[in-house]
Amino acid sequence: MMVYFEFVKKKFLNNLEYRFNYIMGIISTILSFLIFICIYKALYGGAAEIDGITFSMVATNFLLSLCLSNVYKFDDEFIQHKLRDGQIANELLKPISFKGRLLAENLGENLFGVCFNFLPTLFIALFITNIEKPASAISFLLFLVSAILGYFILWEISFIIQTLSFWVFRIWGISTIKNVIIDIFSGTMIPLWFMPQWILDFIKWTPFDSIYFTPVKTYLGQVTSNQLLINFSRQIIWIIIFFIIGHILWKCGEKKVVVQGG
Amino acid sequence: MIKDTLSMFWWYSKTSLNSRLQYKFDAILTTIALFLGQATSIVVVYFTLLKFDNINGWNINEMVFLFSLLFLTYGIFVIFFAGLRDFKYRIIDGAFDRMIIRPRGVLFQLMSINSDWLAACGHGSLGVILFIVSAHNLGIEWNIQTVLYYILAVIGGVLVQAAIFLFICSLKFFFGETDNLRWLLYGNMKKFAGYPISIFSKGIQMILIYVVPFSFVNYFPAQFFLRKEDMQGFPEVYMYIAPLVGIFLYLISYFFWRFSIKFYKSTGN
Repeated sequence: MMVYFEFVKKKFLNNLEYRFNYIMGIISTILSFLIFICIYKALYGGAAEIDGITFSMVATNFLLSLCLSNVYKFDDEFIQHKLRDGQIANELLKPISFKGRLLAENLGENLFGVCFNFLPTLFIALFITNIEKPASAISFLLFLVSAILGYFILWEISFIIQTLSFWVFRIWGISTIKNVIIDIFSGTMIPLWFMPQWILDFIKWTPFDSIYFTPVKTYLGQVTSNQLLINFSRQIIWIIIFFIIGHILWKCGEKKVVVQGG
Repeated sequence: MIKDTLSMFWWYSKTSLNSRLQYKFDAILTTIALFLGQATSIVVVYFTLLKFDNINGWNINEMVFLFSLLFLTYGIFVIFFAGLRDFKYRIIDGAFDRMIIRPRGVLFQLMSINSDWLAACGHGSLGVILFIVSAHNLGIEWNIQTVLYYILAVIGGVLVQAAIFLFICSLKFFFGETDNLRWLLYGNMKKFAGYPISIFSKGIQMILIYVVPFSFVNYFPAQFFLRKEDMQGFPEVYMYIAPLVGIFLYLISYFFWRFSIKFYKSTGN
């Protein structure tokens, strides 16, 4: 376990070296947030609420999901690079779980994101517009739990995409298509309250709303305790499903690896 | 001379496309991904306007028309100017040193060696589709005047973006690393450009008109055809000079490039 913790720490410190990148990350999130605020100001046109959703709730949705999506960073091409340059052999020889090590590094990176991206952005955004406070202390805690579960859904999806590089020459295209689908259906670019019903009926059967929108709704206290349970179990079920798929793909891929010399 | 230049451009394009098509499945996937990646913003606008009907008076067709100019100009931009986009790598891998000693213009070589036809297909096809659909739905009247204006506006839009890239590439001769600056100025401001600039605060409007002039790529040209009410907030003349702004800016950037290239130092052997 300590080994994995080392990976978390290394990645965290590693990221500290690239200060410029995280300043850029903050600027980019703030600007995206600003755009959505301007758009929805124009759309609301001074109306207090639309369908029971106030402007500050929309702002909160955008802020939280944009901040989270900027924290959740995944390098979908990691395994591909390792395969390309033959490093995969060394990785497989190491006496630790490859996936565990990837996860540890990713956690380190995202922990960094929370400290130096999420919190500063949140702070700056408070000066831009009015943001809803969490409905209660409990809903804030539940929001954190839900957001972490959302992270694991994304992580397992990313791992599945990564393992595909055993069979696909370049993973960039698939990775981009995945990101497009998540952007549209997860509520980062359009709050799911305003999606047409037939899209919502479709999303119900997918993991997309569990990534950002479930945490946001929990934060706003929009869910009853019954729904809360359903939401959490949906998140966990998706994590398990993707974990199994990823595991099978990894096992198949591992068998397929042929390393030439070294 | 011109014939010679064109045939060389053609030859370079063919080889660079050929190298990408070595992996056919990947080439198709990349093009689709680029297409979808760009389409995200328009899909979001579509869903949003299903609910809200219009953004500051702009309905879905008008929004699509606005977006189409952005995609179309970028699609053409990457055919001719992808070399400026990938300029960093040409310096790192030493290709730029080779270009300098060849008996052809450096800028011409940069432009022709790197044409990114896959990106052109991905962005351009989306632009063309959106343009045809929206122009048809809006019932835009086409005569010699409007056709000419449209063509010039697209060329102008390409040149505005080329000017921004060329300017930032020129800065590289003085400062070394400028990719972050480009991303800050170009990548971030482009996010704003898809929407009518009248919805933004005065500060952002000023940036989009005078600093990173994306408004001349799509907003003012689109206003020439649509004449929406929010044009009142801006000088009307901008609509008419929009196609010229690109040429003017590109010339400035070009002279700055000619000046800065003298300061080039190679990265190594």
